[in-house]
Amino acid sequence: MEAGVATGSSPPGPARRGRRPNPRIEQWKRTWYFLRRNTLSLVGLGILLFFVALAIYAVTQPLPWDQLNTFCSTNQGSGAPNSCLPGQNQICTYTAGTTPPHAGCYQTPASYPSVVPPTLTASPLSTGPLPLGSLTILPSGNLYFSIYQGLLRGVDWTLMISVAIVGGGAIAGLFLGAISGFYGGVVDETIMRIVDVFLSIPQLLFVIIVISVVGTTTTSIFGLAPTATKAVLLILGFMAVWWPFYARLVRGQVLVVREQKYVEAARASGASKGRIVARHIVPNSVYPVFIQMSLDVGTVPLLIAALVFLGFLLFPTLYFPEWGTLAALSVTQIGAFLTDCQVGICYIPWWQLVFPGLALFLYAIAVNFLADGLRDALDPRLRR
Amino acid sequence: MWLYIVRRLILLVPIIIGVMTITFVLVSALPISNRLTAVYGDPSPRATWVYNPTLNPGQGPCPGLPNTHTCSNPVYQRDIHALGLDQPVPVQWGIYIFNSLTFQWGTVSNHSSAAILISSIHGLPVITVLSWYLPYTIELAVLSLLIILVISIPLGNLSAVNRNRPVDQAARIMSFSGFALPGFLLASLVLTAFVIGVGSNTGYHVYSPWCPSGATLYGEFTGSWPVSSCFGGIGGATSYPSWIHNNGIYSTPTGFPTVDALIAGQYWLALDTIIRMILPALVIAFGTIAILLRFVRNSMLEVMNLDFVRTARSEGIPERTVIKRHAGRNSLNVTITVMGLLFAFFIGGFPIIEEVFNLNGVGLMLAYSVQNSSGPIDFSLVFGTTLLFTFIVVFANIIVDVLYAYLDPRVRLG
Repeated sequence: MEAGVATGSSPPGPARRGRRPNPRIEQWKRTWYFLRRNTLSLVGLGILLFFVALAIYAVTQPLPWDQLNTFCSTNQGSGAPNSCLPGQNQICTYTAGTTPPHAGCYQTPASYPSVVPPTLTASPLSTGPLPLGSLTILPSGNLYFSIYQGLLRGVDWTLMISVAIVGGGAIAGLFLGAISGFYGGVVDETIMRIVDVFLSIPQLLFVIIVISVVGTTTTSIFGLAPTATKAVLLILGFMAVWWPFYARLVRGQVLVVREQKYVEAARASGASKGRIVARHIVPNSVYPVFIQMSLDVGTVPLLIAALVFLGFLLFPTLYFPEWGTLAALSVTQIGAFLTDCQVGICYIPWWQLVFPGLALFLYAIAVNFLADGLRDALDPRLRR
Repeated sequence: MWLYIVRRLILLVPIIIGVMTITFVLVSALPISNRLTAVYGDPSPRATWVYNPTLNPGQGPCPGLPNTHTCSNPVYQRDIHALGLDQPVPVQWGIYIFNSLTFQWGTVSNHSSAAILISSIHGLPVITVLSWYLPYTIELAVLSLLIILVISIPLGNLSAVNRNRPVDQAARIMSFSGFALPGFLLASLVLTAFVIGVGSNTGYHVYSPWCPSGATLYGEFTGSWPVSSCFGGIGGATSYPSWIHNNGIYSTPTGFPTVDALIAGQYWLALDTIIRMILPALVIAFGTIAILLRFVRNSMLEVMNLDFVRTARSEGIPERTVIKRHAGRNSLNVTITVMGLLFAFFIGGFPIIEEVFNLNGVGLMLAYSVQNSSGPIDFSLVFGTTLLFTFIVVFANIIVDVLYAYLDPRVRLG
């Protein structure tokens, strides 16, 4: 460690003689010390904490789903697509010069692109015939809701689904990798060859295949509701993609840890195999997994966005406005606007691109910064 | 070395068979009716017949179906037999593996989104269609790799030399942001910025030598070829050489669009093709610079601590030369390895970038084939693409390993 870089304090070293605090707490203190020295990771941590706070706020806020700023085109209860939910304003239009029938009606523009619905007459930033902050949900272009509301409601869902997906893959990989590394021999060979096979399949394609094949045959797994089933399917698909990386990572780590003196000592003092694996090997080989997980968590919304962009709309956005889904849907819309721009009707809903994109970007970059700091803090060999 | 290559090639067979087994298991999980629909489209001719003793005398009710149904629909039987679905599962698996290894990857089904969007690939063998679309993706991959190489090697060396200084931090933040910004978003932002920034509400036109009548900016920056509405180009009224189909499918002589245009002597077309590739390539590069930058930086840091670098410094060689000649060259091994893997990964397609920019590459083919909004997924095309990518990734691994040993004589293959 270079002198002068550390600001005042020094890393908490091994416990002094006399009082002996819990070594785990000591270790956490040390980790926190090294994390604190990395400004970027503190920024990342701050952004993540902000998102968590936002998620808690969004969950505790008594916002029923149907109070999302949605618009609908047909009468309430008619059963038609885009029919209004209770409390929704029905979209209505009126021509310029006449009086609006009721509040929430929009003047018909002289001409608007086919994908643009009847909209606000005067929008704050003169954005053409689009309400600022709106997002078209359906390809038919009839259902709208505020992007800000969607982003707010999507925080908790985004955080949960990314942790669940990465956690699933990591746990499967940890389990198989530990077995493979510890037992060696035929077990190791078999698992590693399977890992090789899985690693040579393109990731996104594999998720697509799993989802499309399993999704066409089953509408419900474990008796879950369709949306929950889709979430479970997504988790399973990504698990199938991610476990080989974790298995390989853990195996390498276990192979190193297995030969350490303390494992030998544990074996010599008569500890059972299960105890050695659970108490000595796994805790000592799990840090790289944490680091890899924290890196992967940031990419989940990006991958979901890619899936949605390719046409796999997994979640009904109105109820689960996951950020990747929001971003992908917005981008899908932009293409149509840009095409319309060629024939002279140039209204670009830039906020559709910028805000979901910004949310995704902040999330991914915060997670990456934090992971970078964690790597420095947890892996002594990489400490600067 | 040849022994090593042969051994790796032999070891490759079980991996490819493993991948195909996984896809086979996935396909087998589908009900037979779904699989028939995926190949033949409209399910109604194969629907189980209603059992009617007067219409179909002598046929009993179908086992496993309600009494009113019979299972002897000849269309159903014929289709099942044609696909070999009446065989036992191990035999089906054998046929599947054999056909995959002999490049009989089935045909593009007429109802698939890809065939609807690109009408000229109706019913053609998957391998033919892929071979049409692969060259464009390879050209795009090469261009992106060049951009990545030009940016990330100097930047990586710079940030390794100025470790933990502002330059290093800035490079890290830049590369992280490339990683954190989804490609499709960046692509759309770039396109939108171009259209808004340069274009206007009335439709700004670009007048180029190859399109004197003017193309819209959006049309100029998307698509692999000049828009079909561009008349009066140098090539004549249609402005297309005879070997370009309207759908951008081209077959002769090499398949690589730029090379073909050069061979045909239409330099403006080659230039236009490259210009259209620059924007997507920049977007791809921005997303992947992060990966290479990190490798270059780390391997440079490693090499700079080695003894021979210290010796070079102690001999009084200028620092610039030490970094360039001694450290830089020795840190390239890792870089080249990563480049090889990136190239394989790139050919694995940029379905999203190619869809945003509407480029005729394998990625677009893949993106179209999995779009299930307009019908069932075309499994032949999807699995064909999977197989192709697997082949490419696996071969790239071997090539990279051999190249690594060639570049670093200390590495022994075995």
